[in-house]
Amino acid sequence: MAELFEVFRVTVQSWAEAGLLPSSLAYGFAVNALLAGVIIGPVLGLLGTLVVVKRHAFFSEAVGHSAMTGVAIGILLGEPYSGPYGALFGYCLLFGLGLNYLRNRTGLSADTLIGVFLSMSLALGAAVLLVLAGRINVHILENVLFGSILTVSGVDIALLAVVALLVTVPMVLFYNRFMLASFNPALAQVRQVPVKALDYLFVILVTLVTVASVKVIGAILVGALLVIPAAAAKILATSLSRFVGLSMLFSLIATLCGILIPMEMELPIPSGAAIILVAGSLFLLSVLARSLLPGLRGAVT
Amino acid sequence: MNAMNGWFKRGAEAIAAAGPQVQFDQVSLQYGQTRVLERIDLTLSSAEVHALVGPNGGGKSSLVRGLLGLAPHRGTIKLEWPGSPGQIGYVPQALEFDRSLPMSVIDFLAAMQTRRPAFLRPARRQRQQIVDALERVGLGSKAERRMGDLSGGERQRVMMAQGLMPEPKLLILDEPMAALDEAGVAIFEALIGELKAEGVTLLWVEHDLAAVRRLADRVTGLNRRLLFSGDPAEELTPERVLDLFSSHPTQRPRKVQQREDQKEVISG
Repeated sequence: MAELFEVFRVTVQSWAEAGLLPSSLAYGFAVNALLAGVIIGPVLGLLGTLVVVKRHAFFSEAVGHSAMTGVAIGILLGEPYSGPYGALFGYCLLFGLGLNYLRNRTGLSADTLIGVFLSMSLALGAAVLLVLAGRINVHILENVLFGSILTVSGVDIALLAVVALLVTVPMVLFYNRFMLASFNPALAQVRQVPVKALDYLFVILVTLVTVASVKVIGAILVGALLVIPAAAAKILATSLSRFVGLSMLFSLIATLCGILIPMEMELPIPSGAAIILVAGSLFLLSVLARSLLPGLRGAVT
Repeated sequence: MNAMNGWFKRGAEAIAAAGPQVQFDQVSLQYGQTRVLERIDLTLSSAEVHALVGPNGGGKSSLVRGLLGLAPHRGTIKLEWPGSPGQIGYVPQALEFDRSLPMSVIDFLAAMQTRRPAFLRPARRQRQQIVDALERVGLGSKAERRMGDLSGGERQRVMMAQGLMPEPKLLILDEPMAALDEAGVAIFEALIGELKAEGVTLLWVEHDLAAVRRLADRVTGLNRRLLFSGDPAEELTPERVLDLFSSHPTQRPRKVQQREDQKEVISG
């Protein structure tokens, strides 16, 4: 695996030097970043379709934002600045599972509960960050908050690949059952779908993807890439296969362009911000296409 | 002789393939402090069309939920299968559906029915099953339509098609006619006849008492308690119907109630 990756990197670098690929890919770190984007983009796009169908956009954003607090706690506890994965994963998972647990028990609507939890989590994150500000150079945190391709290491890529596999397999296996559970929970139960267990599984999948994407997209914006490509695809698609295909494609384009464009144009923009700006542009173009092409609107008025 | 053999064979198959008998024994159900069902004793015979009628909040849907294992209840609900246990189908009340969701009717039914992710094209055999079920509810030509482009009645028929896959031996319908248009009603009535001929046991929650008179073998009136159960032609007398849908039938003295009923009939 590692050798394969080495071969891939050397090949890309030599092609970039020969002028076949964008010149910035002559750098090793750029190839790392690109590879990370290729791995995580489609996975986010696929999971995003479920986020949109299940109306969990706000929830995914909240889990993404909780990553910021997780990062802060990790650094406070002495984990490395460049990848505090332990606290990041632990905190996000606790946040997501706690939210889901309480949703079944408080009788409050999901958006109210998320509103409460998200602000609490952000307050905690802000408090910890300011404590840290006295001790370390806070600029280091920018990388984790907004994503930085400079710090994507071989270990990160291996981690991404494992997470991508861990998320994609259950998602594909249970895709239909996730759908059915969100359409009609009673019918899903009659058809032997474990609705509650799937809810928790979904939280775990979102958390895993969030944590793995923090390096490239950053804690603040990672939730957005679960929502925007799928939202754009939903606007354009007329069938489920197009919906899923377009969402994965948009997500891949966004991550690749978001990583490559700032490097090529030598813009000092964090990769996360660039990725989301590209995704957002794709979304706006989709809205425009729908208003210009009546065929996309179907027969619904 | 051959014909005789054939007849025996078919007879045996029909028995082996018939739906279950369902026995409710002292079934009570409550949500929080509210008693919804009180000691219901009821038997649905194998292969009969059994209608469940009663006022809103009378516990019809709760009885169905209990039978489906969706609501915790006291007492026992027993299914007695003539052969090996078969499929239980369920058609819920009109489905709330995000109309902007990019799903064709086939996508939707594939998501209900198959394990292969619905965003991949379904395998040919599965596709055929789905189209067959759609044809039974008169929607064969709309398989590729978007779910959001269907009318409420057509969506209800898609839900019915869903209940037919895999082929059920016990089918539970929760107000299936609520959203149906005229064409849909005709198709639904024909379908009930077909299922009955196949020996499927049908439990059918319904508001439309005329339809119950036309189609049901037996009818049960439910308002927290079991009010009556029997042949629709005998049980659904005008007086009974008024009694069933008046607000507190069990708490009012019989005489007063009758007088009020008469008043209603006169004023109506």
